[in-house]
Amino acid sequence: MATPLNHAAIEELLGAYALDAVDDDERDAVERHLAECPRCRAEVTEHREVAALLANAGLPAPDGLWDRLAGVLDAPPPQLALAPVTPPRRRRRAVVGWAAAAVAAAVVAVLGVTAITQGRRLDHALQALRQNGLLRAALAASTSTGARHAELASPDGRVLASAVLLRDGTGFLVRDDLTPLPADRTYQLWGIIGGDKISLGLLGRHPGVVAFRAAGDVAGFAVTAERAGGAVAPTGTPVIAGAVRSA
Amino acid sequence: MDLRDLREASDAALVVAIGRWRQEALAEAYRRHAGAVFALSRRLLRDAALAEEVVQEVFLRLWHAPDRFDPERGSLRSYLLAQTHGRTVDLLRSETSRRQREERDARATAEAGYDLEHEVLDLSVAEHVRHAVAQLTSDERRAIELAYFGGHTYREVAALLDQPEGTVKSRIRAGLRRMRTTLADVGIAGAPWPLR
Repeated sequence: MATPLNHAAIEELLGAYALDAVDDDERDAVERHLAECPRCRAEVTEHREVAALLANAGLPAPDGLWDRLAGVLDAPPPQLALAPVTPPRRRRRAVVGWAAAAVAAAVVAVLGVTAITQGRRLDHALQALRQNGLLRAALAASTSTGARHAELASPDGRVLASAVLLRDGTGFLVRDDLTPLPADRTYQLWGIIGGDKISLGLLGRHPGVVAFRAAGDVAGFAVTAERAGGAVAPTGTPVIAGAVRSA
Repeated sequence: MDLRDLREASDAALVVAIGRWRQEALAEAYRRHAGAVFALSRRLLRDAALAEEVVQEVFLRLWHAPDRFDPERGSLRSYLLAQTHGRTVDLLRSETSRRQREERDARATAEAGYDLEHEVLDLSVAEHVRHAVAQLTSDERRAIELAYFGGHTYREVAALLDQPEGTVKSRIRAGLRRMRTTLADVGIAGAPWPLR
């Protein structure tokens, strides 16, 4: 939004804001204001109380959902969650490195324990949790017969992602530590196939575990940052890249 | 606190116990509120599997960051439902669901309208909420329904209803305030802050 909203304009937005019915810029403006204005905070609380009454449908939660949730809570001890904070750099053994990345992500997915006071870490944990299914598939793929692996490193040599490629062309990319992009940008995955750079898909601005499918003999992978919507050919140098190792 | 105490504990006390990693306290909070969380999310997403993910996420968030709930600022139910609504709307607005959303919009505008009354099943308050909804003008009601249960921004609501954005924005706020006043009169909600 070009000009900051004044108090009256913010007030007018409070009802819509409480129902999550404002756009991102407005939400940011309202939240900045709420941080400093107890009366507006109180009004939003009231609107949300009313909304909660509207939503007050007393259906039982689905069967089995608590058990799944409790399974996530019954996780190994917290210190394991430290792994993703300092991911090992310059992994030398592709298989181990890939597995470590996946396990680190899995630990975050299952635990997110160190996220108690760190919202961003928590968001990562939740994102990883959503990707649990994919992650399980990726983990299974990494140990299956004939799976080939690649480590994708940035120009300064840091391994930031790992990929596994199955014989049938199914692949998984596990992002380890890519910086989130602005909203109008996306990461895009490329396969080096027969000397050409073939797009294997858009990864979004903040990728987690991504499944893809590659046709042909993939010699390597690269990830570039592109405009949202993607590019037909890479427009810049790769953010990370790596060669596929033999099975 | 043993299990029987948990059953009778206030929501605020449950949250304190959750902060001490008492899983049975989370289980009790889940027992009380997960149904409403699920129902709201499914209502917006029209997809039970996605809604289950939202339920997991909302309670996982409560487990890891119980201090984000401030009992001074409303009930646990309302906090959880606000979280639920926010997360659900994020999903709705995400890139991947855009196509489904367009289809959903087409359906939503073709329907005669959402019926708030059918959403309110908790019989102890249902009658009062129904009454409060009845106090709204049809424009206010429509705007709130499309925003809250349709997951639309007020700008989208304005486009759907072919009304000015500022008008829709004001109607949402005025409608929520009027319902608050009506519900406060019967003791279901506290009185609204006076307009300054």
